[in-house]
Amino acid sequence: MKSIFAVAEYIIKQNFRNKILNVLTIFSVFIIGFSLAISELAQESEIRMLKDFGLFSISLLSFIILLLSVTLQMFEETELKTMHIIMVKPIKRSEYLIGKYLGLIFTIFMNILLMLVILMLIIKLRNSDPWDLKLLLSAFFVFVSICIISSVAILFSVVATSVPGCILFIFFTYVLGHLTIHLKNLVMASENTLLKIIVDIIYYIVPNLELFNLKNKLETTYGLFEPSYIFLIFSYSILYIFIILLISIKYFEKKEFF
Amino acid sequence: MEIVIETQNLTKIYKPLDFWKKETQTGIKNINLTVYKGEVFGLLGLNGAGKTTLMKTILGLLQPTSGTLKIFGDSINNIKIRQRIGYMPELPYFPKYLKAYEIMEYFADIFDIENKKERILKTLEIVGLKGSEYKRIKSFSKGMQSRLGMAQALINDPDILFLDEPMSGLDPLGYKEMRDVLINLNKHGKTIFFNSHILSEVEKICDRVAVMHRGELKDVKKVKQIMQKYKSMEDYFIHNVKEKK
Repeated sequence: MKSIFAVAEYIIKQNFRNKILNVLTIFSVFIIGFSLAISELAQESEIRMLKDFGLFSISLLSFIILLLSVTLQMFEETELKTMHIIMVKPIKRSEYLIGKYLGLIFTIFMNILLMLVILMLIIKLRNSDPWDLKLLLSAFFVFVSICIISSVAILFSVVATSVPGCILFIFFTYVLGHLTIHLKNLVMASENTLLKIIVDIIYYIVPNLELFNLKNKLETTYGLFEPSYIFLIFSYSILYIFIILLISIKYFEKKEFF
Repeated sequence: MEIVIETQNLTKIYKPLDFWKKETQTGIKNINLTVYKGEVFGLLGLNGAGKTTLMKTILGLLQPTSGTLKIFGDSINNIKIRQRIGYMPELPYFPKYLKAYEIMEYFADIFDIENKKERILKTLEIVGLKGSEYKRIKSFSKGMQSRLGMAQALINDPDILFLDEPMSGLDPLGYKEMRDVLINLNKHGKTIFFNSHILSEVEKICDRVAVMHRGELKDVKKVKQIMQKYKSMEDYFIHNVKEKK
């Protein structure tokens, strides 16, 4: 257990000290601040616009931070071969991977928290209540969806042999993750069985990230924020992350370091 | 004498990375090697001779295709065995924005070392990095980074030390300092197994050397025997490699 935390702490230190990631965090803060200007454009639904744009920015920027963090980690591990040193130490490969995952999601959690605090301050400045449960839940599920995509990123970083290949796969998974539900709805009307099967396979393999996209439903009242729904998508995320990390560990345990 | 490393017919054949390709490449072939406790064992060979493949296979970074391998009479996959090992790769890299102490702390935590701070400072002092503990790696020269690489390998006070080209990137003074560190460690009973191209250093440090060529172990001899039979380590090396080309 101590090894897991040692790895997580090391990853966090690396991420927080990295200048590129720091610049991106500062940029994120500016983008969130920019939502103030965007909201000015909306005359009547100013606060809603502010929340929508803020949550969209948090979601997109946290994904970019994840991509960048994985790129830097993987570059050091594979190209500069830092992995060789650690793999000879008395640490189980599963412990290393779990520690790496925890370090990654903690970094993203801190970034999301920072962006959320900025957004809430802006909402407060606009004389509205920032302690809106729906806003907080939406931000939390942005984090959960990034946790899912982080587990996929861990899998690809273990399986892929090149950094660009890994990043491309993570990016496609993120895009597909937001599209599969729409694809499934579109194909339902089709009579092409093969197409239906293909879309079904993609739908069940690729994480369904749209489930966590609560930001577009902030003002709705027909059940998306009901505890049963929250419980369902939370359970889905836990199960998905568990399965993906398990596959990653199984593959990593047999991996060779050339 | 207690055996530290023992390999029997150790073979590593690289499979092609792409599944549609068929050509395999032999990394090492039928390596039979024994390394005893307390000795400094040098592995010589041309580029691509299989020295690094052998070291990586012994360390568990590569899986042998066939043959057996034991370290301290057990498998390298045993965590307890890895507690007794130190490894320094060729030209070790560490994140530039971290401090030497932080790098060492990370490895100390993995070994769950008691009196962590004391041990880290002592290890950094052994490799000559006293005073640079809290400096960021980006201010380190190549030689200092190599020393830090050596320090992380020593953090657990290992029984056996694996060094892949430890002199790589060092200046002549660095050679001497590294040599002194290795000789001193050996005096304290450490077994040292290393690859090197610098024959003069091998001659000064090693008790026994092995020559590898095209993945095969061509010869293993005591340095004393070599010096009696040949004029220099270079002559011995060329004799082994040229003859069998």
